[in-house]
Amino acid sequence: MNNTIVSYLLDFEIVRNMFDFVSTKFGLNASGILTFFIFFIAAFIVVNVMAVIGGLGTYAERKISADMQMRIGPNRVGPFGILQFLADGVKMIMKEDIVPAKADRALFFVAPTLCLMGVFASLAVIPFSKGLTLTHLNVGVVYLLGVSSLVGIGIFLGGYSSNSKWSMLGGMRGASQIISYEIPVTLSMLAVVVLAGGLSFDKLVDAQTGWPTGWFIFHNPFTFIGFFVFFVGVLAETNRAPFDLPEAESELVSGYHTEFTGMRFAFFALAEYVEVFVVCGAASALFLGGYKVPMDLGGESILGQILQMGSFLTKTFLLYYVVIWIRWTLPRLRVDQLMVVCWKYLTPIALFNLVGCALWVYFLNGKSFYELVMNMAVTSIHSGGGH
Amino acid sequence: MISLSSYLLISFFLFLCGILVIIARKNIIAILLGIELLLNSAALNFVAYSRYTAQNLDGHIFALFIIVIAAAEAAVGLAIVIRFFQIKESIHIDDASQLQS
Amino acid sequence: MFVKFLFLISTLLTLAGAIGVVAVKNIMHACVFLLASLIGVAGLYVTLGADFVSAVQLVVYVGGVVILMIFAVMLTGGDKADFFNKFGFEKVSAMGNKKTYLVGSAVLIVFTLSVGKIIFNIIDLKSSKDPQSYVSTVEQLGHLLLTDHVLAFEASSVVLLGALIGAAIIARPNRGVK
Repeated sequence: MNNTIVSYLLDFEIVRNMFDFVSTKFGLNASGILTFFIFFIAAFIVVNVMAVIGGLGTYAERKISADMQMRIGPNRVGPFGILQFLADGVKMIMKEDIVPAKADRALFFVAPTLCLMGVFASLAVIPFSKGLTLTHLNVGVVYLLGVSSLVGIGIFLGGYSSNSKWSMLGGMRGASQIISYEIPVTLSMLAVVVLAGGLSFDKLVDAQTGWPTGWFIFHNPFTFIGFFVFFVGVLAETNRAPFDLPEAESELVSGYHTEFTGMRFAFFALAEYVEVFVVCGAASALFLGGYKVPMDLGGESILGQILQMGSFLTKTFLLYYVVIWIRWTLPRLRVDQLMVVCWKYLTPIALFNLVGCALWVYFLNGKSFYELVMNMAVTSIHSGGGH
Repeated sequence: MISLSSYLLISFFLFLCGILVIIARKNIIAILLGIELLLNSAALNFVAYSRYTAQNLDGHIFALFIIVIAAAEAAVGLAIVIRFFQIKESIHIDDASQLQS
Repeated sequence: MFVKFLFLISTLLTLAGAIGVVAVKNIMHACVFLLASLIGVAGLYVTLGADFVSAVQLVVYVGGVVILMIFAVMLTGGDKADFFNKFGFEKVSAMGNKKTYLVGSAVLIVFTLSVGKIIFNIIDLKSSKDPQSYVSTVEQLGHLLLTDHVLAFEASSVVLLGALIGAAIIARPNRGVK
């Protein structure tokens, strides 16, 4: 039903022998326990690597913003300041844990945990490569959207439970922003789903090719616009500038995470940076060809998987750079401008994209723009040669 | 193996909790929470039967429509609650008694 | 084996959430318990092989209805601990006093006895009739929605349109024109 990392690893002789060895040694069918063990190790690795990427994201943001503002950025801790995020982590662990006086203690504890849970649960379906993804769920795209909504609830509860007016405003703005921008994001995803014919990420990526001519972003003009709608929508979903009014450093003190200190604030920040990685990964998988390598070098072997992972990570980090670049370039939107952009511009455009994409698939049999041009060129050459 | 009866018992328990919330609590929004519990128990029942007895997908379709209608009903119900609050400054169900004799 | 484990966790989450909605005083905590219960039901759908219904439950209920409830609690000032009704000589808190819970329990007992007569005769927790293996339901559901159940599909879109417009108009702040 689902292709998981375990079913990929079972293709190897070594892993099968190991399973048989453990089964005979313990006398029972140990495949269930070993499967769980492999999943646990794989999930552990993914979570830790993602946490490091989240931390390095803060470092990358400071360095890139410094580069754009003609200064140097962190360069004291470690070579080129690369251990800065570890120093920040240690600082946050050592801070005093303050809970405001009349705050709702239970929800104060639950809110950052909900944010982190939502983001890390969505890591299960991110397509790193064909074999080494944790699982290729049949409903991967919808699962990703549903689990990302937990972040919105976490933000709202964080704003409410702090019992502070700035936090409440930030929380309400954050939650309304997230639920509004889910709609253009979902509709853009649906346009790509119509093209590929499935909801699972590996089917969506396998419908594209390694060369850029086969990517969905260049498939038809509707998905081209859809990519930008999707990108703007997920910028708003993750509360990144220019949509970062819930955190609005110059207006709301710090918005919904004003009253959170130390490790709780670290949870919110980590959730935001890992979520940016997750949505950039989703964007690259849906529109930019994901883990497809040109000419499918390497095939199914481990080398092929590593190449695929490299391709995916390259595209994702490029989009990550663009997200950071946008933050330090554009000014912040007002909250009413934010809502107007979503409901009056992005949602009609996304609906138009979905309908247009469906019509393109129906009338042109799902051929991409590139294929149409090639067909016309080939037929014109043939008919020209015939005369 | 998980039998059909365990799902029936779970949905029965959810149904009982939903009814208890609707009868015993006096906050209008709490009553709406109880209605959500009721709808979920019914949808769970449908899907459980469609897997164990009917072996087709009609139960899934019905569950999808239950989810859709429940969301629409929650939206309209909460709009009414907000209007009620704007008029009466209270969300206690006993204050909604203007039609009583 | 995974299915049984997921079933156990989802059942615990669902039942704990339902009991929480009944028992807690604070309405915000009740919303969070409802959230836990809905996530548990989504897990139960997964054990039943209804993958698409589970994902839709996560998107619509968790990401829509619960946020809606929390917004409504905020907009009606519901985070105060106790609301008493203004009229009436006995102050009944918004949580419900002992009388309401007594009446509720009585209804519950009547209901359990009457429905239980039917249910407890067919309960058979040991039956191990193996249902069919898990298949993906997305394509089949899409096909069914557009062939057999297209009327319900179109009608539900009209219902959603009506709910959208109705909710927006009902909750609109007074402009003083009316």
